[in-house]
Amino acid sequence: MSEKSSMKKSTNKNKITAKDIALIGMMIAVIEVSKFALAQVPNVELTTFWIIMFTLYLGNRIFYVIPAFILIEGAVYGFNVWWVMYLYAWPLLAVCAMMMRKKNTYFGCTILSGVFGLLFGFLCSIPYIFIGAFGMGEYEGGLMNGFRTAFTWWVAGIPFDLIHGIGNLVIMLVLYYPVTKAMHMANKIVEKE
Amino acid sequence: MKKSVKIILGVSGVVVLVAALVAVWMIFGAKPQEGAKAITIEVINSADESTMYELNTDAEYLRQAMDEAEGLTYDGTESEYGMMISTVNGEVADYNMNGAYWGFYVNGEYCNYGIDTQPVLDGDAFVIEYVQ
Repeated sequence: MSEKSSMKKSTNKNKITAKDIALIGMMIAVIEVSKFALAQVPNVELTTFWIIMFTLYLGNRIFYVIPAFILIEGAVYGFNVWWVMYLYAWPLLAVCAMMMRKKNTYFGCTILSGVFGLLFGFLCSIPYIFIGAFGMGEYEGGLMNGFRTAFTWWVAGIPFDLIHGIGNLVIMLVLYYPVTKAMHMANKIVEKE
Repeated sequence: MKKSVKIILGVSGVVVLVAALVAVWMIFGAKPQEGAKAITIEVINSADESTMYELNTDAEYLRQAMDEAEGLTYDGTESEYGMMISTVNGEVADYNMNGAYWGFYVNGEYCNYGIDTQPVLDGDAFVIEYVQ
């Protein structure tokens, strides 16, 4: 079965089956374990890589994986501002990866993961527009103050965004081919049954 | 579009993005500021010659400020009360030999602490004087 046809088959399924539930559980487990394993290395993560790969090879199931992953993260580390950022940042990545499904290339995936890492801080600064705009304590607030707060927050984290982006690029460059091969094999088995 | 063109465009895009992030960070990022406390340290040697050191520092204690004062050198022996200064700017004060010592003053008052625990406040004027 070709790569495209196997992908098509996986997206056409609208009903959630027991197999899908098992797959979704496995995807969440892989993301969580990888995240935990790299927790000590600041801004180097495999979540971006796995979300892109799972979206490309296992299709719409990713939209069940991401909410569960975000919920687990919140339950483990506490619900805070960062959790709100997760609510839109990871789904946005999955949507971008979904748009690449027809033209899944090594190069495209590498660029997507790198750019996502580089812009992660920018994306995550959005809640600070509201935090700054509504003001706190003796601070006045206002929309301009909101933008200023978000901008300052984003700029302070740029060195970490650079690490994040470069880390994502390297991870995709190194893991794309071996994992793609494994995903093809897994996809064949999944679609056959 | 040719594959090679796409690759060139993609790589260029990432390079431009990285350069833009670095530029934004360098222009708008927090920069190290000069120390918030302006202090002076005056050293008066055995010949009554004075050398003044003016510095802006964030040092909490005098020893850190002395380390930051360009040109000021000192030495001594570490003790449980901190460093006991015997040499300042190469001149040794030996109490056992001739009763000489290095006296430390802050704002005209004798320092109540050793250099490791003497607090540094904005505007402080320290004097390190050869006393015999």
